[in-house]
Amino acid sequence: MNESNGKSEMTLRIFAPLALALLAASTSAIAAGDADAGKAKAAACAACHGPDGNAGIDPQYPRLAGQYRDYLAKALHEYKSGDRKNPIMAGFAGTLSDADIEDLASYFSSLEGSKLTDLHGKVSQ
Amino acid sequence: MTRALLLAVALSIALPAAAADTAKGDAAAGKLKAYTCAGCHGIPGWKNAYPNYHVPRIGGQNYDYIVAALTEYKKGERSHPTMRAQGESLSEQDIKDIATYLSSLTPAP
Repeated sequence: MNESNGKSEMTLRIFAPLALALLAASTSAIAAGDADAGKAKAAACAACHGPDGNAGIDPQYPRLAGQYRDYLAKALHEYKSGDRKNPIMAGFAGTLSDADIEDLASYFSSLEGSKLTDLHGKVSQ
Repeated sequence: MTRALLLAVALSIALPAAAADTAKGDAAAGKLKAYTCAGCHGIPGWKNAYPNYHVPRIGGQNYDYIVAALTEYKKGERSHPTMRAQGESLSEQDIKDIATYLSSLTPAP
């Protein structure tokens, strides 16, 4: 009895962290969205943000390709909730589910050929 | 007649182009004014706290969009506390200069 308790406790000690790690990995995968699914949902975005996400036609629209995934998701959530006001984006974001937003953010952040950059080393005194 | 027509055509092409140029800011002045921006936007992977997300990449972003974003912060139409404070401290000319400089940047090859 004692021995079997000891064994199961040991099993728990070994496997509980492993299970937690797997769970954490799977939830972060869900949070990161599916870039391929995002591509399929991004058809409407191309009209303004360009087929490559670089918004090369009209500079009033921001470049999205290579932008941080979580920033893009935050922007879409803000357009959807109305915290950020833009008539065009309110119309689009209002139709998106949380999963759609994660997928789109994953897609645009993963695009090659980004023209965006952090300011590291660009701004000096 | 022909000369007048040519002049009219030339002006109609040149004037809007010149107006568009002067409407933009001064990239050299913008580089100096963008010094503060690098505190958060300069560090690859830097995260905003509460809520936690990456501060956006703004180098190479489109000019008109940067002007619109900074103007919205200045007017309080966009609600990030730090960016509202920054926006309030900027004149319209500052915003044009900064946008001109930032939009001129390209990623390192």
